[in-house]
Amino acid sequence: MKIRNDVIKVYKDVHIWVGIVSGLMLFIAFYAGAITMFEKPLERWATPPSALAPPPPIERADELREAVLARHPQAAKFHAVVVQPTAEMPARVVWREPGKTRRDFTEYGASFAADGSLQVEKLARAQVAQLVDTLHQLVGLPFADAVARPIMGAVALLYAVALVSGLIIVLPTLVKDFFALRLGKNIKRMWMDVHNALGIVSLPFHLVMALTSVVFAFHTPFYAVQEKVVYPHGLPWGQHAPAPLPGPHEYPLPADELLRRVEAQLPGFEVYSFIFREDHGQLEASVTGLDIRYGTRGRTYASTHLNPYTGEVDPHDLPGHMEPWDATVNTFFMLHFGSYGGNAMRWLYVAMGLAGAMLFYTGNLLWIESRRRKQRDGVVPGQKRSARVLGCLTVGVSLGCVIGISATLAATKWLPGQVDDLAAWHEGIYYAVFLAAVAWAFVRGAARSADELLRLAALATLLIPLGSLAGIWGVGGTWNHPGTGFAVDATALAAVPVFLLLAHHTRKRMREGHADSVWSAKQEAAVEPDAPPRGMAASK
Amino acid sequence: MSGKAATGNVRRLESRHWFGKSCAGVLLGFGLAVALSGLFAWLGPGGIEGGGGKTQFNMWLIAPIWAGVLSFVFLFRDSLRAWLWLGAANLAAFGLLGALRLGMG
Repeated sequence: MKIRNDVIKVYKDVHIWVGIVSGLMLFIAFYAGAITMFEKPLERWATPPSALAPPPPIERADELREAVLARHPQAAKFHAVVVQPTAEMPARVVWREPGKTRRDFTEYGASFAADGSLQVEKLARAQVAQLVDTLHQLVGLPFADAVARPIMGAVALLYAVALVSGLIIVLPTLVKDFFALRLGKNIKRMWMDVHNALGIVSLPFHLVMALTSVVFAFHTPFYAVQEKVVYPHGLPWGQHAPAPLPGPHEYPLPADELLRRVEAQLPGFEVYSFIFREDHGQLEASVTGLDIRYGTRGRTYASTHLNPYTGEVDPHDLPGHMEPWDATVNTFFMLHFGSYGGNAMRWLYVAMGLAGAMLFYTGNLLWIESRRRKQRDGVVPGQKRSARVLGCLTVGVSLGCVIGISATLAATKWLPGQVDDLAAWHEGIYYAVFLAAVAWAFVRGAARSADELLRLAALATLLIPLGSLAGIWGVGGTWNHPGTGFAVDATALAAVPVFLLLAHHTRKRMREGHADSVWSAKQEAAVEPDAPPRGMAASK
Repeated sequence: MSGKAATGNVRRLESRHWFGKSCAGVLLGFGLAVALSGLFAWLGPGGIEGGGGKTQFNMWLIAPIWAGVLSFVFLFRDSLRAWLWLGAANLAAFGLLGALRLGMG
């Protein structure tokens, strides 16, 4: 495809600027986003063991519900029967007590002790998986949601512009360059090929992420404006018939019977829990779970109304049973969250997420390469300050995010035994490590700090499984959930040699690569044209 | 495209007016996205009372249109042209939307 040279030149400038402004925040969003694909297993791994007795079978769930409601009547407003209790949801019956805001609540779980008496525990669901997800959602910014979310939306818009402008730049030479991966002496060419290949191969994925993120950031103002400008009588949400009132001799079905009826109506739908809400004497129920053939608009599960008296599911909210418009919108969410296709698809999203992080990283590398002052007549010039600064920022922010997440994950198994406010500690550890890494990059320069921070990343990541190992012996309040947590530890362990290998290549580049580069150890000896010796400046 | 450039009749696009063009893309691009999503809400399948799913879809439409205008606004030769053309497009789209609301509401 032919595009005028002047258009390409303008769009190169557009691409460079939106890339520089948004690239590092997008790196954090993608690295944290890749990890958050396994939010649930991470939460399971990170939640300390419960002191509750093992959950009774689902056939006794209603006995337990009644015991809970008799002792804690306020639980009637929101309680659930868990079909498959797990480490992060370790009770058959759980309930919420409201806090100050809608999202702020305390969860309790109940079981029967060996003597048949009711046992109640405040659940200690781990906070660290939520921190990684929040970093992802707010592109790593340490601000309140109301401030960080619009910034994320603006970054998402810039990201969309970066995709379009990048596409315009590569289109004319797409066929020629696409299959070319020119690894060799010309480093700029090589990074360009890697950057282009990553961008083109994953373009549909990136377009989905950019546009859905714009909506995730701005849906409230979008609706508010449309309500004023577009619709004559407010936003038409459509009417659904209210739940039928029970007859005089109808009683809610027991949970095991509800499970059988739901499974008969929804083959392929894995039921996670039944939620019950009682309001002014009227009982409403919903069922949560996931059919991986259809994905969901939530991150990990779908939820729909259920008649607790008949077990009849109202499928209008359920992917695979929706009306066309709802199904289309569900697809947008599902494509962002990767909630379809099961674990294989989640791993693919991890790969795409890491590839995305690499896309932004290589973009910054290219910026630095294309501003390199080349060696002439045997004189090694100092590099421009802008290139040095961006080199330090790129290394510090990217690796700071990587090390910060590893460090806060590594602390997971040690913190509950030592401190109370886990969420604050996890956040504090992340940002302390992140800021220290950025500062270190500026102190040591891009090349040396890249090597050192990569080795630190390997160390911090190695500490993650060590916490679980300590848990096998029960040292210092640590724990290990046999079986379920292994994948998290194994993944961390597998990442260690990757960081070491990258560090090795960075050192090699420092020693043997071009001397006229921010990535060379020989830069300190370089002649500094930015700051000519005193007295020389005037003669220029 | 390149044929015209070869004849030399077309003024070459230059890297300038970044601020004016970007503002036009952000502000007028958003306006145009709202207006066009509104036109789709009225004229698209299902009409204005198309149900909750359609209402959500109409909202989603804003994102690609806004991002699209912001991406292509740099094709305007200068800031003034960007503001005038996008302003005219806004007037036309909002005019039509207003007429629909009067005529069909």
